[in-house]
Amino acid sequence: MTILPTLKSLTIAAAILASTSVLALARDVTISVWAGGTGPNDVYRLDAIEIAAQQLQREAALKGEDLKITVEKKPYSGWDDFKQALTLAAEAKKAPNIVASGHEDIAPWSQAGLIVPIEDHVDLDAWPLNGIYENLLQIASYNGTVYGVPQDAESRPMFFWKPYMKAIGYSDADLDALPQNVQDGKYTMKSLLEDAKKMQDKGLVQPGYGFYPRPSNGPDYWQFYTSFGGTMEENGKLVFDKAAMTRTYQFFADAVKLGVTKKNHIGMPGDQWWKEVATGKAGIWDAGTWHYARLVNQEGLKDFFDNIVFTLIPAGEGGKPNTLTHPLVYMLTAGHSDEDTQIAAQLITIASEPRINALHAIKSAHLGISKAEAEVDFYADDRWAREATERLLPHANAMPNNSDFGTYWNIMWKNLQASWTGDKTVDAAIGDAESELKSTLGDKILIR
Amino acid sequence: MKSSRTLGLVMIAPAAIMIVLFFLMPVVLTAVFSMTNMTTATGISGGAYQIAPSSLNTLKSVMPDIAYEMAEPRYAIDEAGLKAVEGLGLAPGIAAELRAKHAGEVFPTRREAERMLKDLAERPSTREVKQISEQFNRSIVNTRFDSKGQLFSALDTLGLKLTPEQKETVARASYTGWTWTTDNFSRIATSPDMARVLFNTALYVALVLTLFNVGYALLLAIWTHYMPPRPASIFRGIWLLPRITPVVIYILLWKWLAWDSGFISVLMGKFGYPAKNYLLDTAYNAWFFVVLINGFIGASMGMLVFSSAMKAIPKSQFYASEVDGASRWQQIRYIILPQMRWPILFVTCYQTLSLLASFNEILLATNGGPGNTTEVWALAAYHTALRNYAGNLEYGLGAAMALVLVVIGVTLSLLYLRVFNYRTLVAKPLIED
Repeated sequence: MTILPTLKSLTIAAAILASTSVLALARDVTISVWAGGTGPNDVYRLDAIEIAAQQLQREAALKGEDLKITVEKKPYSGWDDFKQALTLAAEAKKAPNIVASGHEDIAPWSQAGLIVPIEDHVDLDAWPLNGIYENLLQIASYNGTVYGVPQDAESRPMFFWKPYMKAIGYSDADLDALPQNVQDGKYTMKSLLEDAKKMQDKGLVQPGYGFYPRPSNGPDYWQFYTSFGGTMEENGKLVFDKAAMTRTYQFFADAVKLGVTKKNHIGMPGDQWWKEVATGKAGIWDAGTWHYARLVNQEGLKDFFDNIVFTLIPAGEGGKPNTLTHPLVYMLTAGHSDEDTQIAAQLITIASEPRINALHAIKSAHLGISKAEAEVDFYADDRWAREATERLLPHANAMPNNSDFGTYWNIMWKNLQASWTGDKTVDAAIGDAESELKSTLGDKILIR
Repeated sequence: MKSSRTLGLVMIAPAAIMIVLFFLMPVVLTAVFSMTNMTTATGISGGAYQIAPSSLNTLKSVMPDIAYEMAEPRYAIDEAGLKAVEGLGLAPGIAAELRAKHAGEVFPTRREAERMLKDLAERPSTREVKQISEQFNRSIVNTRFDSKGQLFSALDTLGLKLTPEQKETVARASYTGWTWTTDNFSRIATSPDMARVLFNTALYVALVLTLFNVGYALLLAIWTHYMPPRPASIFRGIWLLPRITPVVIYILLWKWLAWDSGFISVLMGKFGYPAKNYLLDTAYNAWFFVVLINGFIGASMGMLVFSSAMKAIPKSQFYASEVDGASRWQQIRYIILPQMRWPILFVTCYQTLSLLASFNEILLATNGGPGNTTEVWALAAYHTALRNYAGNLEYGLGAAMALVLVVIGVTLSLLYLRVFNYRTLVAKPLIED
């Protein structure tokens, strides 16, 4: 008779205890993540963090913790709005926990204290982060500290429209050998202009459509500078190689003079450019690896490999064949509680696992971040991912992480455009660039 | 009398606060920002002190020995660190094993120190590893210090013997924030591109103002003045459309008209001309469209002001002139124009200022192209301060450019007032005094 009330009170006590212990361990966390340059093909930049959150919740549950993570996602399709919004939000202490942006943002953002080193919160020696390509991890570092975890890799190849190449005398075998010939330096920028001209002379493409480069400012233009022998940075110091930059400016001025590129090409509507390269209106053009997804998914180019061959950017005079990788990186922003930042860091780590990252790589036609990812069937079965990784990634350079690079870039681009449109002669544009670089960056840039 | 004065001040207070906050403060802040080298990298709210490899490079030329010593990696398993680890409240075995096996060891990088920690028998979690390694961190490279004092005490703990002057040198080299400077103005004064942008701005304001905002507006007002009232108001309504259409849609319409695949290209294609981007084809084309796009928006305001001013001219003057046999031209010359001095001054002055500051139509239509030929001052200031592909927005230089615009605006307003002899226009009628 006495045992029942005792049991009852014990049960109640146990229930109360259990409920309080659950309450003590229950955590509701909201992790916000923003990503720039995120179109319909790039949703996994944000979704991967959400998938990671589910995984982390399950892991926490097994450890007896009641963790509930809400992921707030904010995609920005463009870059300008995104960078403005992020920097101003961070200055106002309203930054998201995680941000996916270009690696070149690491320098100014870390100097301003907007982001914190990710290596303070993750174990770089543990899987999956220890499997990330070493050069990508280098690109995500600044001042010898790892600030970001690479979210993707890419490259910016040269595309050739096969039917026109055949019409000007290339056989199938020649086209198959083209990537290797470019890599060996046998097919150069000069050959490219000649072929573009031939296509126009034969009436295959309209005047100005032989060589149809990216129609807006972007990292692609640094590839041409490298191709003509330029160096962007040496021992932590920016470099303006006058001779290489002159050859780069001259290349575009020559293309316009030859009539294979339009004088007014820059600034044309993006949609129009997409339609034209997808339908064979242009002969040769440079673009990103992720353009494959857009061409195939949105522009209706189903027979990509029958129509297009892609290579490294050919070597110009004094330079080497190359491509540029511009990885986006996941970064942790400053100003959050240590616990939240810790959870955000764990989410980034999980999102970097090969299978999860491969979702982004395949959907958006970006390249994988680790060797293990390249070995995942899902990734390796995709012809584009496989060929682009093998052919391009080993030759990829990156832009420097230097807080003054943006200023250098603006000056370089402004004068490239001016010499392209004939607004300035090449020599005048180089002279103006040099004097502005001197007055703006002083001894932070090596001019030679 | 006194109380009414106080009451007046109280009543005007909300307006005064608004004026200070929204009109005066932006200009004052622009002036303040323009005297700094503020960028994204320096932050807006202030900087910290961080001895980064780049600042060590600077220091190596000034005080090589000390710089090398500061660059020394120092993850040292010392007694102070071990005591601190004991205080962290972690599993006791960790500190004990560290003391027994690793006391006195120095690791060149944090990663190597952490690798050792991960090999301990009671493997600490990633978070604990970070906590423990921090206790042994005797390096100040890449650590951010919020104040000079913290930096100096860290230098002291490091055991470096530095004079106060040397400390100041270290502080200067490692400061990440913005500093006061007049460099922005010398950059503006010496850059050949800035001169070009200034010329573009003068051209843009002069063309749009004379051809459309005043010239064409006056023409429209006179035309509609001599029209029957109904068609006149319909006509005026149509001319208001560009002003009331959202600017993005309005510019999109122009782009549809002038793009490679747009109306003009399709039309010209019928006559055998190849399609081209008429908007950006040449600098002349771009200017033609920029002037038209802005002119069509701006002409309506002048038209409305001038029309209502003309309505205010006593009808009797027109009747009398007609009786005297005056032609339309003579009416315009001797009746309308002399009485339009004040509205013309107002429209010219107001539109000059708004054209100087306006750039959104150009941004959307040509974005300053082709090759910066239509880049005007306000657009260049926007590009500098709020747009940079590599994320380093140059707030200081952008503010300096904006300030130049303010100065030009104020100077021009004063000039207009003088040219149009403002005092005689607003002179008090003698009879009332």
